[in-house]
Order: sequence, then C-alpha cells, then structure tokens
Amino acid sequence: MSAPSTTVATQTNCWNCSASTAGAHFCPACGKIQPFAPGGDYFAFFRLPRKLTLDLGALEQRFHSLSWKLHPDRFAQAAENERQLSLDLTSQLNDAYRTLREPVARAEYLLSLYGMRKEGQKKQQAPPELLEEVFELNESLDELREARASGGSESQMAGLRAKLDSAQHKFESSLADVDQELARVGTEWDAAIDSSADEASRKSLMERMNEILNRRSYIRNLVNGVRQELTAA
Amino acid sequence: MPRTVGIDLGTTYSLIAYQDKREGQPKCIPGPYGTPLCPSVVSVDPDGSIVVGQAAQRRLLTQPERTIYSVKRLMGRGPADVQDELKIFPFRIDPASKNVIRVRLGERVFTPPEISAFILRELKMWAEEYFQDSVTRAVITVPAYFNDAQRQATRDAGRLAGLEVLRLVNEPTAAALAYGLHEQKRGKVAVYDFGGGTFDISILKLISTAEGDIYQVLSTNGDTHLGGDDIDNALRAMAREEIRKQGVDLAAHPDTVQELRKALIAAKHELSSADQATIKFPLPDGGVYFREISRLEYDRLIRPIVDRTMGPVRQALADAKLAPGEIEEVVLVGGSTRVPLVRRTVEEFFGRRPHSELNPDEVVALGAAVQADILEGGVNDMLLLDVTPLSLGIETMGGVVAKIIPRNSTVPASAQELFTTGVENQTGIDIHVLQGERELAKDCRSLARFQLKVPPGPAGLARIEVKFLIDASGILQVSATDLRAGTERSIEVQPSYGLDDAAVERMLEESIEFAEQDFSERQLIEARNEAESVLPLTERALAREQSEAPGELPEDERRAVEDALAALRESLAGKDYKRIRALTDVLNQASTPLAERMMNRALSTALEGKKLGDV
Repeated sequence: MSAPSTTVATQTNCWNCSASTAGAHFCPACGKIQPFAPGGDYFAFFRLPRKLTLDLGALEQRFHSLSWKLHPDRFAQAAENERQLSLDLTSQLNDAYRTLREPVARAEYLLSLYGMRKEGQKKQQAPPELLEEVFELNESLDELREARASGGSESQMAGLRAKLDSAQHKFESSLADVDQELARVGTEWDAAIDSSADEASRKSLMERMNEILNRRSYIRNLVNGVRQELTAA
Repeated sequence: MPRTVGIDLGTTYSLIAYQDKREGQPKCIPGPYGTPLCPSVVSVDPDGSIVVGQAAQRRLLTQPERTIYSVKRLMGRGPADVQDELKIFPFRIDPASKNVIRVRLGERVFTPPEISAFILRELKMWAEEYFQDSVTRAVITVPAYFNDAQRQATRDAGRLAGLEVLRLVNEPTAAALAYGLHEQKRGKVAVYDFGGGTFDISILKLISTAEGDIYQVLSTNGDTHLGGDDIDNALRAMAREEIRKQGVDLAAHPDTVQELRKALIAAKHELSSADQATIKFPLPDGGVYFREISRLEYDRLIRPIVDRTMGPVRQALADAKLAPGEIEEVVLVGGSTRVPLVRRTVEEFFGRRPHSELNPDEVVALGAAVQADILEGGVNDMLLLDVTPLSLGIETMGGVVAKIIPRNSTVPASAQELFTTGVENQTGIDIHVLQGERELAKDCRSLARFQLKVPPGPAGLARIEVKFLIDASGILQVSATDLRAGTERSIEVQPSYGLDDAAVERMLEESIEFAEQDFSERQLIEARNEAESVLPLTERALAREQSEAPGELPEDERRAVEDALAALRESLAGKDYKRIRALTDVLNQASTPLAERMMNRALSTALEGKKLGDV
C-alpha cells in the first residue's frame, strides 16, 4: 500500500467563489463553509498526523474550537445548503472526536484506514498464555450454572462466586497488560512515521496491532461474560 | 415582526418564554390568569370547542370523559406500551388504535400529538396576546431521555400548532443554560430534573473558551415514566385502600376520582413545607375520609419512587467516568424536586447542597428561550453541545442488534453502513433501526423499518451505503447512496410508533376547523362560566348554613361572603374578564371559612356515629 502517513489536503475549489480551498473547512477567500469527504479521514479532519499518541488536552481544545466554527446552531440563519454542510461537518467532527479520544478506537480506526483491521474468527481460540485460565473459567461457570439450577447451598454459591470474582480480576489485569502493549506498539508506529519507515515495517506494525486488538476483544468479552454471571447470581 | 419563543411542554404544566433583549434575560409570559403556568390539560366541549389549561382542569372534575391530563405520557408510544399506565391513568384509548394511540375525548378521537398541539396553540395565543404580534417559530423542550419516536411526536405537535420548530432541546440542558446565565458558574454540573411524568439526570461540563461559554453534556440518563404522577398514585392507592376499609368502594363512583386526586395533590403540596397534612374528602355515602399524614409516613410511602431515580443517576455518572464527589454543582429542576425527601436524597448522594434559586417550574422554559435567542443569532457567545441518550442500532441476523452510534455520543452524530443483497435478483433490502442498550432487537425500542430498492442482479453486487444521522434535536435522518451508480437512493421510512408525513398533512388540513375564537372573547366566556357555577353553589351553601346552624356563622364572615356575591354578580354585567376572575377569587377566599365549617360539622357527625373503639 502506499497510503501516506499524513493526509495531504486534496485540491478543491470553493462552491461559492471558485477559489482554491486546499481542503480547508472554510474557503480562505470568501469564508464559506466547505464540504469534507464523508466517513473519513478523522485524522485529517483535525489536521493531525496519523499517529497513535495524542495530546488529549490539545485534541479537546481543537474540538471546541471547531465546534464554535461548524455547529448547526451557528448556521441557523444561513442558507439551506450551508446549514446542510454544517450539519454534515459537525457530525463528522463529533464522530472523529469520539473515535480519536479513545486509544483503542483510535488504533482500530487507523488500521481500518489502511484496510488492516481484520477481526478475529467467531470461535476465536484463546490466546495461548490464557488457555489454562480460560479452561478453568469455563469449568467454574458450568459449576455455577449447575449449582444455581439444582439449588446449591449458600456456602457453595459463595465459594463459586469468589472463584469467578478472582478469575475476573485476573482477566481485568490481563486487559490492562494488553492496553499497555498496545500503547508500546503505538509508540513504535509513531517512530516509524517520524522516520519515514518503509511500507514493510509499517505493515508489520499494523499486523501486530491487529493481533493485539483481537486479543483485547476476546479478553474483554470474557470479563463481560463473567460480570454478567456474577450479577445474575 | 414575527417572534421566536421557547416552550416547555410539560407533563403537568406547560410554559412559554422569550428573551427580553433589553434586559438580556429570558422571561416567562403570563397567561390570562396571571400565571405563566398552563396546566397541560385539554378538554373538548360538546359543541366541539377545545379548552386548554385552568378552564380544562375544572372540567376534569365535571366532565372527565371529555378531558385528558398528562398526555405527554402517551407521546411516541403504541397502544401496547401504555397498557400498564391505563390501570392508573384514566386514558380512554380507542380500540381502533394501531401503531399510533388514539384517545377518545367525548365524541371525538385524537392522537397525542394533536392533543399536545392544542396546548401549544394555547401558549402561542398567550404570547401573541402579550406581544400583540404573531409568533411563528419556537424551540420546544423534551426530556433528555425521550427516544426518537417521542421526539418526532413532539415535533409533529409543533407543526400541527402552526409553529416552525427550530430545535428540540433537552430539558436538563435548557435548565443548565438558564442557570449558567444566571449564576455564571463553571465546572462539572449535574442537573436532576424530576417532573410530573418524567425523570432526567444530565451531567454537563461548563467551559469558558476565547469564543464564549460551552455547555457540553457528558452523559444523560433517566426514566420517561417516573414522575410526580407516581407520587400521586401512591397516595391514591393508600387512600383507596383505607376508604375501602371504611366500606366504600370508589370504583362504583368514578366521578369522585378527580376530586380525590385534587385533595391528595393538595396534601402533597402541603407536605413540601409542613410536617403534616390533612386529607378531608367527602365520600359518596355522606361520610368523610379524614386522614392525617405525617412527613415521616409520607417519606416512607414515596421512598421507593425516589430510590428509582438513583439508578439512572449512578449510570450517568459511570458513563461520564465521574464520582459523585467530582460534581461541583447540582441543580434541581421540575416541580417534584420540591419534595423534601427528594432534596435530602440528592444532597446526601452528591455531598453538597443542590441549587434551586431559579423557580423549578420556570427554569426549563427560560432556558428554551435562551436557546431560541442563540438560534436567532441574538447571542453568539454560548454554545450547547448535547448528546443522544440511547444507542442507535440496526437489526442483524439472529435478531441481534449491531450498535452503530453509542449512547451519549455528541450530536449531530452519524454512521455509515454498507448493504448488499443476499440472494440473486433481490429487489429490496430491509433495514430495521432500533434504539436501546440491549443485545437483542426484541428488547430494544423499534424506531423504523425501511426498505432500500435495488435493481435485480447477482447476490452481493449491489453496494448501497446508508448514512444514519442524528441531528441536533436528537432525531434520526436516513439517506442512502448507491455506490456503484453514485446516486441517491430513495427510501421509504415507516415509523414504528409515529405519524408519517401524509398523516400530519391530513391533520393540518383538518385542524382548520378548530378555528379559534377571538382570545379575549374566549376568556370572557370562560370567566363567566366559572362565575356562574360558583355563584349558585355559594348561595346554596350560605342558605344551608343558616338553616342547619342558625347564628353560628360570625356576622363579619357572612357579610364578607354576601359582599363578594354582590360584587361578582355586578361584574357579570360587564366585559372585563380580568375583573370577573379577580372577583371570583375574592368570593372563593371569602367562602373558604364557610366551607371549612360545613366540612367540620359533617366530620364530627360522622365520627359521633362511631363507637369509641372504632376511631
């Protein structure tokens, strides 16, 4: 693939005065609001490079500043086409902000931009280092369900719940580990961008991120599943 | 020059407000009774004329089968949804109702948006009378937790009332606007809005930037069927049970239902400031239901209702990733926040005193007026960033919902989904859109179904991109593009619980027959009607007092009543409706001691009849 690491604004012309806009949100000549390609690119929308480490404070400031400029409330008295543009652009602004402010969503989005987000199979295999824990967990869940169905004693239920509780904590800490791993690969990615690394290195980084995201998804489903069982019991 | 207003279309009361440019403050517009509160009650007279507000409230007692209150509870819902409500609210749902509820009022049948439109039209008239100018545009508020169908129904009501609805604004956010303006506060704010029929909690961040103040909603949650009405119903259940033990079955006397409700609401109001209230209710068998209720007992009775509000509060805080202690200001909105237990519970939970400096009944309308001014360009240093309260999803295979826009996303928000055909020569792709947090479609709220038309071809060839856009009012817009042809595709949307455009058009045409009489003329008729019903009642009461207990009524009280009677009779010869109303009030005041005496006499007679052990 040869997608650039930052998006260069495409040459476009203002619908109102025909001046060149260079992909800006507002025409530099007449100031009228301009369309932006729908569905992407969220990084470009914020004029940010496609990097995974972000200054959240700066992002929020830019979000607020763009909201002042684009929000439909500011276009309530404008012409119909400008109001529609404002609505479209603000929804993209909000979608972009929502995606970029969460590290996981940000990484997933980056991968999807390059077509590198491939989700895990339905019957995903447990990550090897968790195989044993997952096996134990499934056993505990079965035991809990059986005990509930056959009316297990208070102490039996309490014991099984405690087991599940500790399993949940273990998986939650695995989740934290995975998040840190993702952050580390994110930093490698940023370095690759800065050093204009070749396509092969970038692709390999993205493959690693994809695998981490799949693993994270699997563990998160486990955590949610256990939480559901615990609240049901 | 046509005016723009802000409207609070409430479950119990509705209000209309405007931005006073000179003072830079929003103000509520008073109605013909001098108060800005318009009871959200609608009645249809036998001659077909529509009565709204205080006059309709009286008809709740005299003609309950032609009158409806709390219609907001029916907006955007289907007949199956309201079956539970019917057990406690006297809504007469027409059996022909299909996906839109139809309510019977007298001989006629109306949908909830039409009934709400009558209330909006009344308020519009108040404003036009006040400004001596036309009113054509409005911002209308809705509970933050209202779903798409409920919002559409509100917007339809505005349209039917002849108003261009510039925006629907969430009630807690509107209140925050009014408070922000008033208090100049910054930081993290929780707005706890407990009204007549709905409960909302919103967590906001108020920020100052170079351009001005931003009111950013972080999260919102609530219950669209939890309000002061539920407190009334708890009292009613208690009263009916106790009355039943006295040997009277109120079910056999349906005309007493509204009288009892009125007495219970009066007690509820009293308990907001006093430690005790007394319910005195004449029973159909001549006896009296006499009940003293202490604040302690009242608290115990309503605790489950107040506790129900705390679930959404916890969820909203969790979604905003904040602890209760991190909230810097708490604001109380809605009449039901006058209940002392509510205030205490909120104060204990957040660990700080909540604000209620602004009138909890008026603050939402005031905020709506501010937002109206922002949209008119009158204010350009305030910006509202609100959120959608419910996740938007589409139904996929196996009845599972795929969430495409998560709850608490800042609006406007959008999502694109790609659709294709599954079998050869398939000419339509069906899409089912839902709102809610559950996994399965059957547990979520169905919004609409629509079908994408595709030209016949091999399976998987068609590529239709559907864009789902939730606008700033929280309402969904759907558009589709055929990616292969590069053209817009047509979609026919079938709302699950609402009126389609054709139906609204038809109603607009029909509504012309409800042409209003001149405003003052109407007020005069109403004032006369009320006076003419109060006069003979008071005269009879006075006569009864003279015959049953001659000499007991003090001279000065008797004279006060007789003077008031004479003054009112005299005013009826004129056309000053304000004077007639004022003198009716004077008469009611003057005859209150008389009514009390008669009640107390009936009570002691009833008690005398009982043995000591029974009391």
